[in-house]
Amino acid sequence: MPDNIYLPELARVAYIKDEVYGERAIKTFRVEPLNGELFKHECGQCAMLSIFGRGESMISIASSPLIREYKQFSIMRVGNVSTAFHDLAVGDVIGIRGPYGNSFPVDDWRGKNLYFIGGGCGLAPIWPVITTAVAQRANFKNITVFYGGRTSRDIMYRMELEKLRESVDVHLSIDRAEEGWDGYCGFVPASVMDKSPVPANAIAITCGPPIMIKYVIQNLNQLGFKDEQIYTTIENKMKCGLGKCGRCNVGKDYVCVKGPVYSWAVLKNLPEEY
Amino acid sequence: MEKILDKKRIDDWIAALAEWNILGPALEDGIWSYQPVSGAARLDHPNTKQSPKGLAFPQREIFFKFEQIKGEAPRLTQVVPDAQRHAVFGVRPCDGRGVPRMDLVFNDHVEDKYYTSRRKNVAYVGLACNKPPSPNCFCLSVGGSPVSTDGLDVQMTDLGDRYFVKAITEAGKELMTAAGKLFAEPSAADQKQVKQVHAEAVAYPQRKVNNLEEVPAKLKASFKSPLWQELAQACIGCGICTFLCPTCHCFDINDEVQSRAPLKGIRVRTWDNCQFPDFTMHSSGHNPRENTGARLRQRVGHKFQYFPENFGMPQCTGCGRCISECPVGIDIINVVNTVVENAG
Repeated sequence: MPDNIYLPELARVAYIKDEVYGERAIKTFRVEPLNGELFKHECGQCAMLSIFGRGESMISIASSPLIREYKQFSIMRVGNVSTAFHDLAVGDVIGIRGPYGNSFPVDDWRGKNLYFIGGGCGLAPIWPVITTAVAQRANFKNITVFYGGRTSRDIMYRMELEKLRESVDVHLSIDRAEEGWDGYCGFVPASVMDKSPVPANAIAITCGPPIMIKYVIQNLNQLGFKDEQIYTTIENKMKCGLGKCGRCNVGKDYVCVKGPVYSWAVLKNLPEEY
Repeated sequence: MEKILDKKRIDDWIAALAEWNILGPALEDGIWSYQPVSGAARLDHPNTKQSPKGLAFPQREIFFKFEQIKGEAPRLTQVVPDAQRHAVFGVRPCDGRGVPRMDLVFNDHVEDKYYTSRRKNVAYVGLACNKPPSPNCFCLSVGGSPVSTDGLDVQMTDLGDRYFVKAITEAGKELMTAAGKLFAEPSAADQKQVKQVHAEAVAYPQRKVNNLEEVPAKLKASFKSPLWQELAQACIGCGICTFLCPTCHCFDINDEVQSRAPLKGIRVRTWDNCQFPDFTMHSSGHNPRENTGARLRQRVGHKFQYFPENFGMPQCTGCGRCISECPVGIDIINVVNTVVENAG
């Protein structure tokens, strides 16, 4: 049956890295096509990943669309499929279908200052935008990344963030002071206030735990950012990714089709069903 | 194409449809359901317990099989729906109107070939309602009618000792053409009688959802209404409302494993249910619809607000099954009317 929207392509796990250990363990996976090429995607889109015999899970694509050789996913171990992912070894074969959802309007942001504000696992969905903007550095003015973890051991992409400092401002934070930590101590919304980004000609992109997003947006509004200048992504449980299985809707729209990327101007008028 | 069929000849018509799998209403242990028919179809049913939606959207269907020998790549084998054509007799107009609504869902955005390849092989032979409606029928107030042809391929109307048979679609014409000489041309008196039967059917009083055109906006304004939880307090989350509904389409997808080494299993789609707590529960434990009120609001909102906003029509066809079969008496007409009446 051609055009079978539920049939995944096969992909080989080419790289696995432990990002965070412990209860909130995060691993990063890079997958390569088994045959030919994987689908193209845009910044912010998601893919439905399969481990045959365990099931499917919708995961945001954490690599830039500019990278064609592999797709990257950073997955926290929380449920059935994500736990199975943490048991994978390099060389294992998974299923992948997509891309799903809308994307960040990165092309509309040329010539602007970009502020990325992430917390915990929420760095992964905005990582493709960060790395794409950095790869096209001349298209944007100042690029600033705020990122925080609960502790220094919860900071993901640690090496990549250090490398990022070569071309953009990076402000890392942890919730409580630790010996040897020279970054900010406190929650991410406070870390943002500490540097007080200027809203003129700027876009803020935030992703993280819902409570963090809530206070980040409050603080950005306080700094003068208009709702249209703030972007975030949301997640809901999904089974199909195609607007048919009926569960991820927020009001009349399915997040898998009309989301996961929303400007706050749009999202704040939607019912709180996420 | 409009014809007359002597009631005694319906078995001959069915016999002429040899290439089709014929289904019709059958009464077993007090429950009406669609069953394979040989001989005459029994068409004196009020309505079946379940709508015929499962013909195009089965309760359970296998997407593909997977097999993996250790060290090798998995092998996926699609399970393609078979090409058998089905003609289902005795479909009531409310269930007929469910069909185009399911078509919209499974063709919107991208085509779901599992659905569409089954759907194109199903013909719905409708039977107009000509008796006083069941206590919970409310098709008229949701844009339907006891004599609606929406979604049907053929409409039959009971004229006592004969049926008035009308083709609605090309598939319907094909079914009727296969009957050949069994059909007679309708007389002027037949035509007059059909009109009269239809007029009487439409005139029977029904329960109703009030002011349908105002409902989407009023529901939207009532998202935070405390009424949702009050109206859903008794809900036990059994989900019978959705399983019996001719338009509920939500589904789950799961892997079922038959053997772990070598790995062998199937990926299966099954009907799912927005009234179950884990329907929307994230793996973190967070649930955007954490109580029965939020879940009732989702089902009613989907039928009467979101679907109208997306497709310009309510998703409910007024069959009344969810009211008649709810074990705790939750009544969708009452829910919509109450929330709408109290909207700010």
